[in-house]
Amino acid sequence: MQPTLSFEQAPPISVPYRFFLTAPLFGAVAGLILAVLGPDTLQSRWSSGALAMTHLIVVDFMLQAMCGSLLQFVAVVAGANIWRPRLVAHIVHPLITAGAIFLASAFLLEQPVLFLVAAAVFVSALGFFLTVMAIALVRTPARGMSIHVLRVAVFGLLVTVALGATLALTLGLGDHLQTDWSLIALINVHVAWGLGGWALMLVIGVSYLVVPMFQLTPSYPVWLTRALPAGLFLVLCLWSLQLFAPDATSQKWQTGVGLAGVAIAALYAVTTLWLQAKRRRRMSDPTFIYWRIAMLSLIAFAVSWVVFEALPQLGGNLRAPIWLGVLVIPGLFLSVITGMLYKIMPFLNWLHLQQQGGTPETQPNMKQMIPENAMRGQMRMHLAALVLLLAAVLWPALAIPAGLAFSASCLWLEWNLVGAARLYARYRDRIRAGLIGCAGSAGEK
Amino acid sequence: MPEPRLIDGRDMEPPEPLERAMAELAAMAPGDELVMLLRCEALPLYSLLERNGFGYTATLRPDGTNEVRIKKA
Repeated sequence: MQPTLSFEQAPPISVPYRFFLTAPLFGAVAGLILAVLGPDTLQSRWSSGALAMTHLIVVDFMLQAMCGSLLQFVAVVAGANIWRPRLVAHIVHPLITAGAIFLASAFLLEQPVLFLVAAAVFVSALGFFLTVMAIALVRTPARGMSIHVLRVAVFGLLVTVALGATLALTLGLGDHLQTDWSLIALINVHVAWGLGGWALMLVIGVSYLVVPMFQLTPSYPVWLTRALPAGLFLVLCLWSLQLFAPDATSQKWQTGVGLAGVAIAALYAVTTLWLQAKRRRRMSDPTFIYWRIAMLSLIAFAVSWVVFEALPQLGGNLRAPIWLGVLVIPGLFLSVITGMLYKIMPFLNWLHLQQQGGTPETQPNMKQMIPENAMRGQMRMHLAALVLLLAAVLWPALAIPAGLAFSASCLWLEWNLVGAARLYARYRDRIRAGLIGCAGSAGEK
Repeated sequence: MPEPRLIDGRDMEPPEPLERAMAELAAMAPGDELVMLLRCEALPLYSLLERNGFGYTATLRPDGTNEVRIKKA
């Protein structure tokens, strides 16, 4: 596979940055919710606190960061023309932010009307975003598996939003909405498409390019680049049959489909670790370590899933899904996102300063955009928060320190990202002032 | 005929190859040649070259290396 970068298409820097700089703040709020509500939050995935926290993280942290990255990635890597990216960001970013606040409030306050408001906001925002992205991805002349996988991921987000809106309407309207679907099946399929069909599919598609490029590893085997997304998509379709043919999908059948899904996820994680071990340069920067934490979390998730299936007395515990959720959401996805933000923001700073007329003498290099010590410190805090969150699932009394640690890790990330954005603004102004100074001098001669 | 300058960017993390190329391009005299070996197709480099009046040819080697030969007119 021949990766291609086309910076001519890069959208304005404010487009991805507004998403990136908002995302960690909501992670911090989610951590505070856990600290305030305490141990009861982790008793069950159905507690209002757990539902509010989860949606704040998956929507306002993960979705914000992923939408911002996708706007950048699709334009630069796929060379796709995104229709008025600044306008798209102006509309989508505040709506996603508001939608997640409505949704989290709906869970915490148990107010049905807020579910309806959240559904309306998400359908508007993400319907618009998905339309723009779908047109860009269909029209792009770029080829390669990454582009195909991104298309599938965008479809995965569409299914997630449609099912999420149906769930919100069900919770908002109660008995007034009649559907043939069971609530549990609806939730199972919504979660699978959100975490597997959207988030994991996007990570897989992006990793085909960024892991070899930034971590100097060999490329993913070609057969695997096709098999992973195809297998995952097939598993998601089979998993969704529980909505349409509940009688045909026995518990044993669902168990088999679930195991096939976690096997695919584990295969991807093991391959990525194997490629990392064969990297051409023995460097271990925070992005590299974050990817490693993410892949180990994904393997731990797969092993836990198998153990829970093998030992029903353990898997049947109400806290088992929370254990899986911690491994996959902060463990896998937030680790990948944070690791990539530590690469994307310095890269965008460098790129946009170049475009402003910067030179190696007038602008910092990529490694100077975010201090290495700050990134490593934040990474240790993230790891500590992850361990505390897992420990809190076993010993709920640890919920308060776990929530505070998670909040602190998100705030530290925010601090590092804001520092990078401020550095960009400072050097941009200096370069502009220098260019104006030169023009002024030339004019006086 | 002077030997072409060489940047082997295959084991460099982006944007280091581009940074090095920019430093070399600034020092090139008419007729000088720069060869870059890359693992990706460097479209930003091409647009930079076109904007600044450099000629170039890009060839994909059998091992996947992209060889870019740049000449200052």
